Amino acid sequence: MPRIFKVITLSLLVVAVFASRLFAFDIPPRADGYVTDRAGLLSPSARVELEAKLRTFDQQTSTQIAVAIFPSLEGGSLEDISMRIAETWKPGQKDRDNGVLLLVFRDDRKIRIEVGYGLEGVLTDVVSGQIIRQEIAPCFRRGNYASGVEAGVDAIMLAVRGEFKAKKSSGDGRQLAALVFIILLIVLPPLLRKGSGGDDRRGRRRGGFFYTGTGYRSGGSRGGFGGFSGGSFGGGGASGGW
Amino acid sequence: MKAFLLILVAVIIVALVITGLMFGSVYNGLVSKEEGVSGAWAQVENVYQRRADLVPNLVETVKGYAAHEKETLQSVIDARSRIGKIDTSSKIISSPDMLAKFQDAQTQLSSAIGRLLVVVERYPDLKASQNFLALQNQLEGTENRITVERRRFNEAAQDYNAFRRQFPNYVVANMAGFRNKAYFQADQDARTVPQVKF
Repeated sequence: MPRIFKVITLSLLVVAVFASRLFAFDIPPRADGYVTDRAGLLSPSARVELEAKLRTFDQQTSTQIAVAIFPSLEGGSLEDISMRIAETWKPGQKDRDNGVLLLVFRDDRKIRIEVGYGLEGVLTDVVSGQIIRQEIAPCFRRGNYASGVEAGVDAIMLAVRGEFKAKKSSGDGRQLAALVFIILLIVLPPLLRKGSGGDDRRGRRRGGFFYTGTGYRSGGSRGGFGGFSGGSFGGGGASGGW
Repeated sequence: MKAFLLILVAVIIVALVITGLMFGSVYNGLVSKEEGVSGAWAQVENVYQRRADLVPNLVETVKGYAAHEKETLQSVIDARSRIGKIDTSSKIISSPDMLAKFQDAQTQLSSAIGRLLVVVERYPDLKASQNFLALQNQLEGTENRITVERRRFNEAAQDYNAFRRQFPNYVVANMAGFRNKAYFQADQDARTVPQVKF
């Protein structure tokens, strides 16, 4: 008889330990990509499309928008978990802090937009709140998650567009680029022996993602996502639900 | 004998140089960590200021719909003006007393705002107005920033304090007048800071 008790106690203990471990929200050490859908809310095609859109936006503006969808907060607080994810993944450029994190927790029906320091001026708390209330929540209420996320991302892009440009020269900067090029042609040769600092920098300007070979898309979930670029966050943004 | 003296002098000089270098590196470490704490404090001040700046706007908005809630409105205004009088110079981060006083005043403002938001519940028109929704977002965001920056300040202060108290760092720290930094306490009042949510 006591043996049975022992077994029962032991198994209860094991269950308790596992339960407590299950209870706490585990922050994924890195994002799956621009889109991290751990709750399966988006169809594969919607996910791929959104991923491509966010990557293009990063390349054009250097602003990194991360979308993350989880099944549940596991009893944690929305703002706390959101900040920890932002601090772990660090979307945004290191020197510009131009990252945004759009978070959705399916079972808790909670949404949060976490805004990097560098974008707090344009994507204010008020604007973030409006995006949640007016763009995302209505779609979510109808059960249309993909279009809700897309509408949210579009609104975020609209708000932050123009705040930062990718550091490589774009169309209207062409004249300046030509001038710089000519100056470099004159100045560079004597300096060239000193090393390859210029090349290094240009590499970094691309926006922070590194691809292993060509297999980014076909390579599946992990593949070549090198992580975000080190932006920091100060708690700006807004929370909401549906 | 002469050779012995020479060696002794050389050893002393080497010892002095090593001590000096060590002193220098510890001193520099203290300086940079202290700068980290000051930087974190500046951020803390920043976000608290942000909240204080929201108060007039909040009061005006609520007044428009609920002018006769004078008492509650006045307590927010009073708490806000008390904060303006607090000395937040750099001395504050080395003085637990001053920091506690600062924290106390901020907590009073928090609870005054909290009471005001409870009052707002009784005015559906106000609650639904775009102006108030916007303010509510700003308040939420500011409270959240305060939490974040306070945590970062405590982390920076802890990092500095731990470094300062190690051997031989505390010798240098005491000689050069580096003092322990104060922490924000997680007080009971602050824990029950009004959730600006409905």
